[in-house]
Amino acid sequence: MPCERKPMRYGHSEGHTEVCFDESGKFIVTCGNDGDVRIWEGLDDDDPKFITVGEKAYSLALKKNKLVTASSNNTVQIHTFPDGEPDGILTRFTTNATHVTFNSSGSRVAAGSSDFMVKVVEVSDSSQQKTLRGHEAPVLSVSFDPKDDFLASASCDGSVVVWNIEEQSQLISWPLLQKTNDVSNAKSLCRLAWQPGAAKFLAVPVETKVHLYVRGSWDHVSSLSDDLLTQLINVVAWSPCGQYLAVGSVGGSLTVWDVNSKLCVERQKHEKGFTVCGLAWHPSGSQLAYTDTEGCLGLLDGLRTSTSTTTTTKQAAVKKPARDYDDLFDDDDDDRLIDEGLSDTNSPVKKPVGRDDDDDDDDDFLMPATGRARNRGAILDDEHSLDTGSLKLGRDKFGDDTGSVVVPAAAPLQPLRPVYEGPMPTPPQKAFQPGSTPAHLTHRFMMWNSVGIVRDYNDEQDNAIDVEFHDTAVHHAMHLTNSLGHTIADLSQEAVLLACPSTDELASKLQCLHFSSWDTNKEWMVDMPQGEDVRALCLGQGWVAVATSTLMLRLFSIGGVQREIFSLPGNVVCMVAHGEQLLIVYHRAPGFDGEQALGVQLLQFGQRKRQLINGEPLPLSLKSYLSWLGFTAEGTPCYVDSDGVVRMLNRSLGNTWTPVCNTRETCKSKSDHYWVVGIHENPQQLRCIPCKGSRYPPTLPRPAVAILPFKLPLCQTSTEKGQMEEQFCRSVLFHNHFSFLSSSGYEIDEDAQSHSQKEQQELLMKMFALSCKLEREFRCVELADLMTQNVVTLAIRYASRSRRLALAQRLSEIALEKANQIQKEEEEEEEPEYSNVRQPSGYGQSEVTGGRHSSRLNQEEEQGKELREEDGQEMETEEAAETRKRVNPFAKEAVSPVMQTLTPIGKVGRANPFKVLGSGKPSSSSGQPRVTNILDNMTSSRKSAPLGGPAGKPNKGPVLKPLAPRPKTKTQSTLLQLTGTKASSKKTQENTQPAADQQKQAEVPPPASPADNTENKRPKTGFQFWMEENRKSITADHPGLEETDIIKEAMGRFRTLSAEERLSWTERAKGQTGDAEDLKKRKRAGGGAENENGQAEADENSAKKKKSLDPSSKLSAFAFNKN
Amino acid sequence: MDASEVEFLAEKETVTIIPNFSLDKIYLIGGDLGPFNPSLPVDVPVWLALNLKQRQKCRIVPPAWMDVEKLEEIRDLERKEDTFTPVPSPYYMELTKLLLNYASDNIPKADEIRTLVKDIWDTRIAKLRLSADSFISQLEAHAKLDNLTLMEINTIRTFLLDSLNCMYKLRSNLQPGSSKGQFKDF
Repeated sequence: MPCERKPMRYGHSEGHTEVCFDESGKFIVTCGNDGDVRIWEGLDDDDPKFITVGEKAYSLALKKNKLVTASSNNTVQIHTFPDGEPDGILTRFTTNATHVTFNSSGSRVAAGSSDFMVKVVEVSDSSQQKTLRGHEAPVLSVSFDPKDDFLASASCDGSVVVWNIEEQSQLISWPLLQKTNDVSNAKSLCRLAWQPGAAKFLAVPVETKVHLYVRGSWDHVSSLSDDLLTQLINVVAWSPCGQYLAVGSVGGSLTVWDVNSKLCVERQKHEKGFTVCGLAWHPSGSQLAYTDTEGCLGLLDGLRTSTSTTTTTKQAAVKKPARDYDDLFDDDDDDRLIDEGLSDTNSPVKKPVGRDDDDDDDDDFLMPATGRARNRGAILDDEHSLDTGSLKLGRDKFGDDTGSVVVPAAAPLQPLRPVYEGPMPTPPQKAFQPGSTPAHLTHRFMMWNSVGIVRDYNDEQDNAIDVEFHDTAVHHAMHLTNSLGHTIADLSQEAVLLACPSTDELASKLQCLHFSSWDTNKEWMVDMPQGEDVRALCLGQGWVAVATSTLMLRLFSIGGVQREIFSLPGNVVCMVAHGEQLLIVYHRAPGFDGEQALGVQLLQFGQRKRQLINGEPLPLSLKSYLSWLGFTAEGTPCYVDSDGVVRMLNRSLGNTWTPVCNTRETCKSKSDHYWVVGIHENPQQLRCIPCKGSRYPPTLPRPAVAILPFKLPLCQTSTEKGQMEEQFCRSVLFHNHFSFLSSSGYEIDEDAQSHSQKEQQELLMKMFALSCKLEREFRCVELADLMTQNVVTLAIRYASRSRRLALAQRLSEIALEKANQIQKEEEEEEEPEYSNVRQPSGYGQSEVTGGRHSSRLNQEEEQGKELREEDGQEMETEEAAETRKRVNPFAKEAVSPVMQTLTPIGKVGRANPFKVLGSGKPSSSSGQPRVTNILDNMTSSRKSAPLGGPAGKPNKGPVLKPLAPRPKTKTQSTLLQLTGTKASSKKTQENTQPAADQQKQAEVPPPASPADNTENKRPKTGFQFWMEENRKSITADHPGLEETDIIKEAMGRFRTLSAEERLSWTERAKGQTGDAEDLKKRKRAGGGAENENGQAEADENSAKKKKSLDPSSKLSAFAFNKN
Repeated sequence: MDASEVEFLAEKETVTIIPNFSLDKIYLIGGDLGPFNPSLPVDVPVWLALNLKQRQKCRIVPPAWMDVEKLEEIRDLERKEDTFTPVPSPYYMELTKLLLNYASDNIPKADEIRTLVKDIWDTRIAKLRLSADSFISQLEAHAKLDNLTLMEINTIRTFLLDSLNCMYKLRSNLQPGSSKGQFKDF
């Protein structure tokens, strides 16, 4: 009796289900845990009609166009069939009924309940009830005697009882079953069945057998069993002719016996092995419908029960030994294989074995993490089912060709494979809105982002959209009726954007509620062209982007003006916007073997429209799909894939994607997920909603946002080194947005930026110290390369204190290089700004008129000064007393008291030529050999060397070396000449254009001569400052004076100042000195040689001072903290 | 000590709220609070939470123990044990009252929680009375009671102390001759 097992259909949510046919056999009727009764016009009915009967439906029975259901409100109700009109309540129990059934004529209904009672009710008059009491546990099932005299019932107390209905008494009771306390705990549902027609037998499923009892004598005449049936039998059903008995088991086996011959005529297995809990014969006896506890409906077709008994039995008899033979072979295989083998022998038009395997594989590909059928349904497209459908078709044909009725025993081991065996294409993932839950849910989030929440309620009665803002200051909450059936939404500070798919009559619509509009018309709506559906949309600042099914991207202004239109390279997956940026992810190509091939485009609108990322592949974890896409609050694109890996765009590394967090790592259970709703870079926060056992949160109870930290997946993050490296990398990555924001003209939080820089430098210093401890000097140098100049000086100090001379020496080289680099950079940077910063007169004026900029710098200068002094003092204490002694006499020479600290002997010796030079220019500068920060440290490192090291290196080495590799463009002698020429060339050319200056500056080669360097050590004196301030007035008073004359004149005037005034100038000069500033001076020396205008030069100096002091003061603040 | 004073103390307990406004950190004598970001949970003292709630500036997230299942467990344990069991919060009664009075819309199954907490309270107070009774009837000099909350102590303090005083007076009057011996007993 070969039959065809039709593919399963999803019918209800998981849980107990039941099935029956209507009397004509036209409809299959099922009920399930979702409280619906579905009426299927055959198994292929894609849109079954449904009647909602309650929250849950436990059982149903159908006869004479009356549908009786047991629902969760403890009633047994009648509905008309097939209209589904409620037709009253038949009876009530104190708890829910577990099984209802009609008698053969349809005049009575029997219902068993969890309150231990069985009731028999007349359908026409529900007041005529008979109650059968006697069970001591919930009733499992009830069954009418076809002649209406008796009623059989099974209960959780383990008994199967036959009642006399009229007398309401127990006739006989068999203790056959295992005792349990509730239907939900019962191992088997023990659905009893009387043989229809002759009513000779009562079939009782007892464990793996079916006992047949004779009506009347109640003798146990025989048992039906099958060797292959190893699991408990759940349900039994007689064929309408009464000759066959079908059973469904807990393990999913379906077996049909011929009762007369007691032979098994059909064995089938549920395709997924779920428990069969509902079984019904078609009135014609040719079909057998079954349902499982996962809510699926299946059908066996082509059961030839109407054929003559003898032939069937013969066939069966013939087949039986053959199968046994098979069993011998397949003994070691699992049930499934046997089953499949059997079904193959039975039905040639069956899905090949390979089909099932592929199915499972597909599942694995798509849902590596959960493998839940429901989730898969939520994510995958309809296209998926289409795809597999077409594939199956092809395979079925294939099966037709090769499959034969008699298949050799080895057939199951030779799976019928499709011709093509290469990698299979992955169904492309469907377009979605990031931050929304699947559209099939009745209550769902249409959008949850940093602005607010859009919820959609799509009940029977109501279809509404709720918009709620996190910050009620933005706008009050809104409640909209969703008459158009919007399915996608976005929300920003300005507007709510909604779109609905097209229907047969209506085009796809885009609706914008522009609530921030200042006019009275706060809403606009646009129809998409015919055949074009909105697939994804997003709201930027002042614009709206919509991607459609025709690969079109349409750009509107927020007011509804159509602005741009362009084509997308592939089907859109999702789209997000932030400010002026638009990020689009689309299908680049079909993916294979579970991978998605996605491409990404990043566009920037606003002033200059451009494409920042053009169609590069979007990296996803293996076999995962995109689950969230968005921008951080600071505007860096990032996304999450279904494996929970969060990736962020690294703009500083050529727009690569860096994984910053794996949300699955923090999940407690495998089925838990985090639903990301937002990412912040400063502070570093991953805002998400923990979802227990699902990928999406429910709308109620209202989910609470949790915050996850970021963690870059670096190696060995359990070690201290790994931890610090991770922190450093993360800090650098998460502060990339500063440079991006400033480059695109946004204001940035400078405090935060400097704080982050400080943090990074601190980490570097810690890592440096750690590497030092581990004796990894090369690594130390690598780290020092990453440090800023001032931190390098600290590193040098650290190295020298821990007696690593070679290291200190290398570091000092790095320090110098850095200093030069900074200078070069600043030179380049300065030029465009130069004309802006330029002030008519010297430093003082620019200070006054420079506004915010200069005043801020002033503060920093002061800070810098203080810190420098601190630094200096510290250096002093560090150094040995002898050094001090040596310094002191020198300090006497020096005019400035500040200078006393840092002029070690070595320097005095080496710096002699410069001293000469300094004293050679006594009038213009007091020639204090003020040391720069770097050199301070260098000398200190050198200082400590003789202290710690065995052999003091006299006056050579460390200091010289860094200078040596510098290109020696000018010798010391030329330096003298230079200064000479400089002095003489300082002719007042007040009319020089700034532009000309710039040109000249550009021509100036990066001055890096050692001579210049040393010359720089001369700090500015108070007099110089004063002169810069007053040069203009002098030149105004005495036009045509030579430079030297001006200086003389200035000297004269300076002397006339009061002592206090002079002191204040000197103080200021102190504040001005600094290494970076000295570098400026060096540049000035070069610039002077190029005939620079004195005044312009002064300006330039002041401007540069401002610039250069900026970082140094910060870092000296850092240095201060460090010690 | 007044019950309202105990309640005042309870208001210092922190509770999680979800603000719907944005505000930087606020610096108070009792410590810094915030920053407040819309939709981000933040811990604040109960007094502030209630204030914000009344101005509809936040949603209150009920404390973890304010859950029907957990409270049922506690109640069952409390009924089973003869001694006092540890309570979920030293101010469970006050917090329940405050939060349920002002923010019952943010707390699922508020009525059940109210009943459960009242059950726990009643059980505990009954125990307290019982132990006070046996303390007096057995003429004990001292007793030790663990896991009592401030509010519970407060409810019985006045009565117990007054009655003990009273009894002391009565006893010393009964046996004026041997008053010294009586002293030793107490």
